[in-house]
Amino acid sequence: MAVTHPLDPYLRVDRIPTMWCPGCGLGIALGAILRAIDRRIEEGLLKKENIAFVGGIGCTARMTLYPYFDSAHVIHGRAIPFAIAVKVVKPEMKMVIVGGDGDIAAIGGNHLLHALKRNADLLVIMVNNMTYGMTGGQLAPTTPRGLYTTTTPYGNPERELNVIKLAAALGANYVARSSITHPQLLERTIYKALAKRGLAFVEVLSTCPEIFGRHIGLRNPVDLYMELKKKVTVKTNPSIEESDYDWGRGFVIGEFVDRDEPGFLDTYREYISKSFGGGAV
Amino acid sequence: MKLSTPAATLIKTKSSKYAINVITERCKECGICVAVCPTKVLARGDSRNRRGYRYVVPAYPDKCIGCKMCEYSCPDFAIFVEAG
Ligand SMILES: Cc1ncc(C[n+]2csc(CCOP(=O)(O)OP(=O)(O)O)c2C)c(N)n1
Ligand code: SF4
Ligand SMILES: [Mg+2]
Repeated sequence: MAVTHPLDPYLRVDRIPTMWCPGCGLGIALGAILRAIDRRIEEGLLKKENIAFVGGIGCTARMTLYPYFDSAHVIHGRAIPFAIAVKVVKPEMKMVIVGGDGDIAAIGGNHLLHALKRNADLLVIMVNNMTYGMTGGQLAPTTPRGLYTTTTPYGNPERELNVIKLAAALGANYVARSSITHPQLLERTIYKALAKRGLAFVEVLSTCPEIFGRHIGLRNPVDLYMELKKKVTVKTNPSIEESDYDWGRGFVIGEFVDRDEPGFLDTYREYISKSFGGGAV
Repeated sequence: MKLSTPAATLIKTKSSKYAINVITERCKECGICVAVCPTKVLARGDSRNRRGYRYVVPAYPDKCIGCKMCEYSCPDFAIFVEAG
């Protein structure tokens, strides 16, 4: 019997159920991303054949396996340089990078930094489950202070990396934080980010009940989901100071940066045409 | 070309206004839909799918207000709501 879920036209349904643990927030994030893309396709802004998903390694990066678009599952942390290369050669492509906090901000941190500095024309979706889920729950730079993980049995003594502040400081055109506990809002955020030139960075707070939750007494997917939901506050146009990242005080979600400066491709083209009189590129 | 769809079972539960559809083979029994439904339409089920998960059941379909919170919050594309 044919399956008729509204998102099935965008899914490689032969790969569903996903490899993700029951109640993992990643599937909720993927649903919201696909609904946002669907709206942009319906509007005529995007074409299905011009969308490519790129991810490195991790449970989040495995997201590249499920949408029915071109996709590349590359080396851990290297999704951004791969995507920039595609974008430079095929500027008509919409490059959607999906990676975990480890993939994007830890091992891939240096690539992120330079892509931000270039305002590279990419949509970077960092799903932040605050741990390295796939490899067993090690401490990530995004693990909140004080929390227990596989590698911090006495609690995390380190300060957290607030990637929102990093992205804002280095000049991305769009910087937003959202959460899987607010799927409609997440959809709207991705919908908006899809239309931006330059770099759009969206952090998606998510849940890893199986590996992250178990160390903090929230292994039940509903318990961790509800705990995250309690910690999330929605704000309209929050200031960058409000992006404060703290498990105890909670997390503000919203759009922290929304500007329209020339992206990497615009600048690149301008310099090429200055040098070659508008011929190439 | 799109590969073939795996065998799936779709259970449609109708109320006067909405149809709540559960693709039983996709459900992983996480319980998130049950928890987020504002009018408590859904309940944990007793029957198991082929993977051993007890898929969710729309126990009180008449309470459905069509908000689709379950659809948007299901990590496994296993539930969706239609008007009528
Ligand atoms: C070069 C390299 N170093 C380390 C690993 C091991 N490794 C695989 S996934 C991962 C971390 C994944 O964390 P994250 O990106 O947050 O993804 P999650 O599983 O949490 O979604 C690590 C360290 C690897 N695959 N390749
Ligand atoms: S290990 Fe965590 S992030 Fe990975 S699939 Fe399981 S719950 Fe999700
Ligand atoms: Mg992670």
